Amino acid sequence: MKILGIEIILDKCTGCGLCVKVCPFAAVKILNKKAEIEANCTLCGSCLEVCKFDAIVIERPKLSDKNLSEYKNVWIFVEIRENELKKVSLELASKAREIADTLGEKVGAVILGEKAKHLCDEIAAYGVDIAYIVENKNLSEYNTSNYTGILTGLILKYKPNIVLFPATHLGRDLAPRVAASLEVGLTADCTGLSIKDGLLLQTRPAFGGNIMADIISPNVRPQMATTRPNVMKIQKPDHSRKAEIISIPIELDPKALKIIIKEVVKTTKAGVKSLDEADIIISGGRGMGSAENFKILEDLAKTINGVVGASRAAVDAGWRPRTNQVGQSGKTVSPKIYIACGISGKIQHQVGMKSSDTIIAINTDREAPIFDIADCGIIGDLNEIIPALNEELKKNLCKN
Amino acid sequence: MKLIACIKQVPDTTEVKVDPKTHTLIRDGVPSILNPYDQFAIEECVRIRDQIGDCSVSVLTMGPPQARSALMRCLALGADEAILISDKAFAGSDTWATAYTLSLAIKKIGFFDIVFCGQQAIDGDTAQVGPELAQQLGIPQVTYVEKIEIDNKNKLTINKQTEDGYQILEAKLPLLLTLLPPTSFQPEHPPMSSILKAKRKPFNIWDVETLGGDKSRFGLDGSFTQVIKTYTPPKRGECELIEDNPKEAAKKLSKILCKNEALTKR
Amino acid sequence: MVDYRFTEEQELFRESMKEFCASEIVPKTEKLTEVRRMPKEIIKALAKFELLGLIIDPEYGGLGTDVITAGIAAEELARADPSCSIPVLFLVGTSWGHVIDKYGTEEAKKEILPKAINGEQIIGIATTESDIGSDLGSMKTKISKKGDKYIINGEKMYISGVAEAMEYGGGHVTLAKMTPDKGTRGMCLFYLPLKDTKGITPTYVEDIGREAISCGGFDINNVEIPKHYLLGEENKGFYCVHEGYELARGLIALVCAGAASKALENGIAYIKERKAFGRHIGKYEGIQFKLAENHVRIQALRELGYKALWTYDQEIQGKASRFDVSMAIAMAKSVASIWASEAINDVMQWQGAFGYTKECEDQKAWRAVRSFTLAEGSTEIMKLIIARELLGKEFLAYR
Repeated sequence: MKILGIEIILDKCTGCGLCVKVCPFAAVKILNKKAEIEANCTLCGSCLEVCKFDAIVIERPKLSDKNLSEYKNVWIFVEIRENELKKVSLELASKAREIADTLGEKVGAVILGEKAKHLCDEIAAYGVDIAYIVENKNLSEYNTSNYTGILTGLILKYKPNIVLFPATHLGRDLAPRVAASLEVGLTADCTGLSIKDGLLLQTRPAFGGNIMADIISPNVRPQMATTRPNVMKIQKPDHSRKAEIISIPIELDPKALKIIIKEVVKTTKAGVKSLDEADIIISGGRGMGSAENFKILEDLAKTINGVVGASRAAVDAGWRPRTNQVGQSGKTVSPKIYIACGISGKIQHQVGMKSSDTIIAINTDREAPIFDIADCGIIGDLNEIIPALNEELKKNLCKN
Repeated sequence: MKLIACIKQVPDTTEVKVDPKTHTLIRDGVPSILNPYDQFAIEECVRIRDQIGDCSVSVLTMGPPQARSALMRCLALGADEAILISDKAFAGSDTWATAYTLSLAIKKIGFFDIVFCGQQAIDGDTAQVGPELAQQLGIPQVTYVEKIEIDNKNKLTINKQTEDGYQILEAKLPLLLTLLPPTSFQPEHPPMSSILKAKRKPFNIWDVETLGGDKSRFGLDGSFTQVIKTYTPPKRGECELIEDNPKEAAKKLSKILCKNEALTKR
Repeated sequence: MVDYRFTEEQELFRESMKEFCASEIVPKTEKLTEVRRMPKEIIKALAKFELLGLIIDPEYGGLGTDVITAGIAAEELARADPSCSIPVLFLVGTSWGHVIDKYGTEEAKKEILPKAINGEQIIGIATTESDIGSDLGSMKTKISKKGDKYIINGEKMYISGVAEAMEYGGGHVTLAKMTPDKGTRGMCLFYLPLKDTKGITPTYVEDIGREAISCGGFDINNVEIPKHYLLGEENKGFYCVHEGYELARGLIALVCAGAASKALENGIAYIKERKAFGRHIGKYEGIQFKLAENHVRIQALRELGYKALWTYDQEIQGKASRFDVSMAIAMAKSVASIWASEAINDVMQWQGAFGYTKECEDQKAWRAVRSFTLAEGSTEIMKLIIARELLGKEFLAYR
């Protein structure tokens, strides 16, 4: 009955089945009137908390006594787009600064690109102490194998304590590759990062956002995580700060690549912020009624500098491109303000937006599930409310 | 040629509810399903196999004995052989340990041309096992794959989703793909004849002994990350409902929005 | 002892069935009841998902599964289509497809079954007449031999799927009298194609429920059918028809269980939300008692239904007698409609005035389920069968 890490104490277990009920992963069953743990157990501890008979014990491996102290400093991977810093890079720098201050360590930033030096001052303003620059014309477009090789090499050489990546398409492609090659842990899509007992405490949603998990990587270094865009606060920049710049020369053979980019197609208009980066998102759903009607959302977006998103229903109806889609099969966003217009808010949509700071819902159906998670709800016809709201906001924002 | 699909059985997270009072997870009666991303991966895998001809699909999963039903479904969807990697020693595996275990199984199969994975699983949403597995197998990867075409010289053309559109890539074998179903994707539901056929296809169960490898790298011992606590996220505050004529409602909402720092800090 | 688990194939089938219903049936049910016809696309969708030949011999395009698998399909279809129209099409086609498969001539099977299985044609059942229902022995429709053909005269009434057979093609397994003085021992069962058949004149009636499948009758005026359409032997039709009826009755038990269990689920969701006198109505004992009673009844009905179909399978394998089948089937069917409609009625009651509006989904199920106290053998006949098996033949009623 004993398996690695978790044990049922048979004398104490009454087979009551409470643990079966609470297990989020269906990893407990009752066999011969006793609880039994299945192989898909993640040792999350839910069962431990509910057991009335203290019949479940989880033994976590002891902290390694390997000398981990030679690993120092908090690194971030800086993602750039069209030669500029992505907003998430500023978020990472700000967070890394906070963590490094707690630990009494420095913040390092790794910047890869055809040209990268011009970004050092800007990222330094957000708290970076050392910028590791790798410039090469073959790095202008992201490529998994080149980027993995360079990152792995730098980490092995400089031994950072913590490395943070953005949980973007790029970061989620790169970070696991680097983690696997270094044989270290990686926590995906964190919404919270802090230091607890000297370790990086990584908080992330799981189970479609229904549960949160606190995760540590105690025995190996660096501790690595990807961080969800738009969640970490950007600190006030200090433009007097300068970073030490370490340039690493590199030679790359483009012929060695096994995967070649043939064509890059952009379906979002140039100059328009992507959903992932937007502070304000105004999304339309089935209730919009037509593609043309999204015009009223676009007008409102112009007024408040927002980006227009859509529910799956609106995308399926062909009203919006699928790059606009928020939700389980689309994008996960967490803007400061999310305005859901004519979106009923099924769980599949909620998963993609429920970590937004403020949620506003406009819907004619008062029973719509979107109101369960909204901070503010308006029951009414969006066709009348949105234009009226736009006018109001124009007035009020001019005043300020 | 040989194609391998890695799949996972997951609780249907869209069926999970949170008790409004105790704020705990209600998972009574939540069915276990084939991860929807993996359903797309397996359908594409089978489609590519049929196009190539003289090619077989092995589907594998690491999971408890009950994960058999997810594999049976994959067989019904057209896979040729299933492998269930099941052992209590795998409990507590994080993404690295999972990828390690899968990599051993794939090495045991011996040869392959493409490994298909779902972009992510709906219970964990990490999207990490695919790339970590590719790294351990020492092969290139393409993530966020929306579309695959293969020509008669086994050259792959791939549409990869990006944040602002997509890329068209050209790739050589072998490699690993993680697939993202397009929004228009309608999963196939296997009819009874496919289910009856599935029952006659090879089904293997491999445990720690079968896999070999370094035992200290499985399960919790082999995991670099540890979950120390899980809890339901704090409930959002009550929803402030505005019911008024459109003009008044807009006024009230405008006031609320104007107080928000996203608008004040512009 | 007893193993209540479904086989792995059956479990996988149910899972697939649920998905099929969710994507192909549920989105269409609202529109479905607007016309009194089963849309051709629905029949094609059922055929594409291989539902129309589940238990038919693979030689004629079927899958050769057990009868319990058909029960799973019936239950899930009823959960998806509250009007029970699709379940009716399914159970009639399945039951009389089975009778053709078992008693049809080789020629007839090759001609009829593949087309029914791929959804091109439908199969119905026609025994009832304007004033003849349970008392089949008094039937007026006559069949006589003429060379290598049969000639039929008479009329059939309250028959499901007449319009579909007339328009899309297909026909009805029909019962008629050959030897007038021999009662039920003088009847023939045969396949009667309706579309383009000279001498068939349809009439239509409107059922109060099951709106998506037609109901009507047809006059049969000197209609000729080829000899190979006879099912079983001459004058043995009454016995052959019962094998179809028993299968249909077993499937009906699961249709009722499916429709009622879905309604109860709707009801549970409702009473957890609706408030009256300051609390959720689910907190009131009066509602909880009803909920519990109905749940137990519907679960019991479900088990009676599957037990009946299991017995039917056992008989096919030679491990049970026809009397065992009659008893198990009659038990399930005798309570199916009544328990189900009472459960659904309670769910409507919980919903207050809304429950009596056409917007309430459950009323469709209520009107549909009501039909099964009559269809395929009335509740009263079921009780007579049970009593016959308990008391012995010497106590046969009405003799």
